Amino acid sequence: MSLSDCLGLMDRRAVLALGGTAAAAALVGPAGATDLYGPKPTGAKTGGTLNMGLLVEPPGLDPFHQAADARIRLTVLIYQGLFYESPDGQAMPLLAEGFDLSADRLVYTVRLRKGVKFHTGQAMTAKDVAYSYNYIRDPKNGSPGAGDFGMVQSVEAVDDATVKITISAPNAALPMTLGNKYGGVVPAGYFDAADAKTKLNQASVGTGPFKLAEFKPNSNATLVRNPDYWEPGVPYLDRINFVFVPNGASLLVGLRNKRVDIATLTRPQDVRQVEGVAGLVVERSPSFNQKAIDLGAELKPLDDERVRRAIALAVDKDEIMRASIGGLGKVIGTMVAGMQDSWGVPLDKLPNQKLDIEAARKLLAEAGHANGFDLTLTSIIGYDWMDAAAVTLREQLGKVGIRLTIQRVELGVWVKNFQSKQMGFTFNDWATVPDPNLLFYRHFHKAPEGADFRNWKNDEASRLLDEGRVENDPAKRREIYHRYQQVMATSVPTIMLFSADHVVVRNDKVRNYVQHPTGWYYGLARAWLA
Amino acid sequence: MGAYLAKRLAASIVTAVLASVVVFLLVRSVPGDVVGQMLGQTSDPVAAKALREFFGLDQPVWQQYLGWLARVVTADFGTSWTRGQPVLGMVWSALGVTLQLAFVTLVVATSIGVPLGVVAGIYEGRWLDRLIQTFNLLGLAAPVFWIGLMLLVGVSAAFDWSPPLMYVSPAESLAENLSIMALPILSLALLQAAAYSQFVRQSVVSAFGQDYVRTAIAKGVPTRIVFFKHVLRNIAIPLITFMGLILIQILGGAVIIESLFALPGLGRLLLSSIETRDYPVLQAGLLVVVVIAMLVNLAVDLLYRIIDPRVRLS
Repeated sequence: MSLSDCLGLMDRRAVLALGGTAAAAALVGPAGATDLYGPKPTGAKTGGTLNMGLLVEPPGLDPFHQAADARIRLTVLIYQGLFYESPDGQAMPLLAEGFDLSADRLVYTVRLRKGVKFHTGQAMTAKDVAYSYNYIRDPKNGSPGAGDFGMVQSVEAVDDATVKITISAPNAALPMTLGNKYGGVVPAGYFDAADAKTKLNQASVGTGPFKLAEFKPNSNATLVRNPDYWEPGVPYLDRINFVFVPNGASLLVGLRNKRVDIATLTRPQDVRQVEGVAGLVVERSPSFNQKAIDLGAELKPLDDERVRRAIALAVDKDEIMRASIGGLGKVIGTMVAGMQDSWGVPLDKLPNQKLDIEAARKLLAEAGHANGFDLTLTSIIGYDWMDAAAVTLREQLGKVGIRLTIQRVELGVWVKNFQSKQMGFTFNDWATVPDPNLLFYRHFHKAPEGADFRNWKNDEASRLLDEGRVENDPAKRREIYHRYQQVMATSVPTIMLFSADHVVVRNDKVRNYVQHPTGWYYGLARAWLA
Repeated sequence: MGAYLAKRLAASIVTAVLASVVVFLLVRSVPGDVVGQMLGQTSDPVAAKALREFFGLDQPVWQQYLGWLARVVTADFGTSWTRGQPVLGMVWSALGVTLQLAFVTLVVATSIGVPLGVVAGIYEGRWLDRLIQTFNLLGLAAPVFWIGLMLLVGVSAAFDWSPPLMYVSPAESLAENLSIMALPILSLALLQAAAYSQFVRQSVVSAFGQDYVRTAIAKGVPTRIVFFKHVLRNIAIPLITFMGLILIQILGGAVIIESLFALPGLGRLLLSSIETRDYPVLQAGLLVVVVIAMLVNLAVDLLYRIIDPRVRLS
C-alpha cells in the first residue's frame, strides 16, 4: 500500500482537528493506535531480518544533540515523544494518552500511557518526561531542539502518570513539537553520567519498538525488536539491519541482487535503473522536503522587493525540476508537497508563481536594473540536484539580464553562512514536520523571536506567524497561514521550487511499508516480511 | 645497521610530530565545525556555544593541540565526537580493512604486472609487446572509480551477483571476506598492474641495452640465464622503490574504492569524518596515514641494503 493509499484511508477532517485539540479544556481521545506509524497490516507474519540500504550514514544516534536528518530517520524507531507526527498533520498521542488544556490555553495536563518501559527495562513515569523535556529546552545543554521548546516555561511531574506543561503564550503547535525529532523521552538523570552522550551510540534508552543492537561506523546499524514494547504484537520484524552504502550505483546493484531488501533513493531519477526488475516494487509518495532558492536581503540588490519578485517571475520551476530530478516530484508554491492539501494555498491563487519574462524585465527596470546585474548563486557540493538546477537557473535568469555566477561550496561553509544570516542568493534543501508553525516561524519571523535567516524583517509576516501560532481553531488557523503565504509569495524571501518525491524501492517480500512524508522510517514498525 | 635504524626511527618521530601539527592546523582550518554539523541550519546560539565548550573548541588552537598531544603520547586518542566510540578502536579496525586491501592488491598487481612487463621488455617491438602496452595504456588512463564501477555493474549484469555490502573479516569467514574483497582488489590491481608492467618493461629494455648484457648474449649465454643473472638483479632496486610508491598510491586509491564497494576502511572513515568534522578521528586517522608512509619508506631503504649489500646506509 502506498502512502497516498494510506492517506486516503485516513479521515481528512482529522487533519483539521490539529490544534483543535483546541479551544478550552479540549480532550484528546484514546490513543489512535491503529494509525500510529502507518496502517495496521492484515495477515502479518512476525520475524525475520530486513536489510535496508542507506545512502546517507547517520553521523551519530544521539536524539538530543544531533540534528542530522539521517539520524532522525532511524532514531524515531528507537525514541518516542508524547505525540506522533501523523503524515496528515495530526499530533497523535504516543507516550501520552491524552491531555487537558486550561481555559487560557497555557497549561497542558498530559496523561501518560500506562505500561511503557524503557529499553533498560525500567518503567517510564512522569518524572522521566519532565526530566527529558527540561533537559532539551535548556539551551545550555546544547540541544538543537532548544529553539523549538522556547515557549515552554516549565515541565513538572504532577504524579507518576501526569505531566503539567506550562507555556508562555498559547501555541497550537506544542503537541507537534513534543514528537520524536527532538522530543524523545529517556530515563530521568540519564545525562548526569559524563559519557552519557557518547553511550547513546552503543545502547539505546528509549521506549520505541526497536532497540539498538550495534552501530558500526561506515558499515551498519542494527536494531532489534523490543520485546517489552507497549503495543502488543508490534513490531513484526525481529531485526533491521541498516547497511550504509556510500554510493547510488552500489545500492542499485544491491537491490537488484537482493543484498538489500528496501531503500529510499536520494536521487529519484535513479529509479529508472531498477524499474521493471522482477521482484522489485517501486513506490513514489509526496514529501515534506523542499528545494528552494533563498534570497538573503542582506545582499544588494536582493533587499529590493521588486528585484526579488522579478527573479521569481523569471524562474520556470517545472523546468528546473525536470532538469534536476527528472521530474519525479511536485512543483510547489509556498508549502511543501506533503502539506499542500492541508495547509497550502493553491498555486494559481498565489502571486509571482507563473513565468512572466516581460513583467520581470519591467520590475527590474523600475528597480533601476534595466541592463540587469551580476549575481552569485551558491550551491552545495554533494547535493546532486543543485548542479543541474544551477545551470538551468543561469539560463532562465539570463533572459531577464541577470548574469549568474555559480559558486559551489562545501556544506560546512554553507551552514556557517546560513547560521550567520549571510546566505546571499543560494539554493537550499530542507524538510519539516507537518505543522506550518514549525515550518515557518523560526525561519521567517523577525528576530529575536524568530531567527529570520533571510533578513526579511517583514512586520506583517511576523504578525501573522504570531497569530497562527496562538490560534487553536483549525479553520481560522488555516486562514491565517493562507494570508501569511500570500505575503510570502508577494515579497519573495524565498522561492520554493519543488518537493522531490520519496522513491522507495523494495523487494516484493517486504510488506506493508509506508513511507512517512518526513522521510523518517516510521513505517518499519509496521512492515513485515513474507 | 642498528645505529642507522635508531637514527631513522628518531627522525621519523620528529617528522610525525611535525606532521601532527600540520594535520591539526589543516583540520581546524576547514570552514565549519562539528557543532554546526550537529545542530544544523537552525541552531540556537546558546546551544551552539554550550556544545563548543563541551568539545573544547572555545580554547585557543595551540591549547587544543597541546592537550591532544599530551593524551596521544599516552595512547589516548579520545572518543569520536559524533559516534561516541573510542577513536583508537575505530581507526584500528578501519586500518585492518585498508591494509588487507592494500597488501593483497600489491601482491595481485605485482603478480600480474611484473611478468607482463618482463615479457613486453623481452619481446620489445613485437606484437606481444604492443598488446601488453595497449593493456598498460588502458589501465593507466582509466580512473580507478570507473574501473570499479564497470566491474561492479558488469559482473552484476553478467552473473546476477554483486559483493555483499557488509564487511566480514577473514577471521570470521574467509570465503565471505574474499567475495567482498575480490572486486575492490581487482579494480585497484588492474590499474597498478598496468603501472608495474610499464615500469618493468622500461627497466628490462634498458637493462638489455647495457654493454655487459649485450656481451653476454653475444657470447652465446642463453637469454634465460642472462635475464635471471644480470637483468633481474639490475631492476630489483628500482622495482623495490616502485613497490613502495605503488603501496602508497594504493592507499590513496582505497578512499575511492572503499566508498564504491562500501568497505569500512580508513579512507572511508577519513572521508566521513571530514564531512562531520569529527576532529579526533580525523587527526588520528591522518596521523596513521603519515606513519604508514614513513614506515613504507623506511622498509624500502632497508630492503635496498638486503638486496644489494653495496648500498651504504647513512
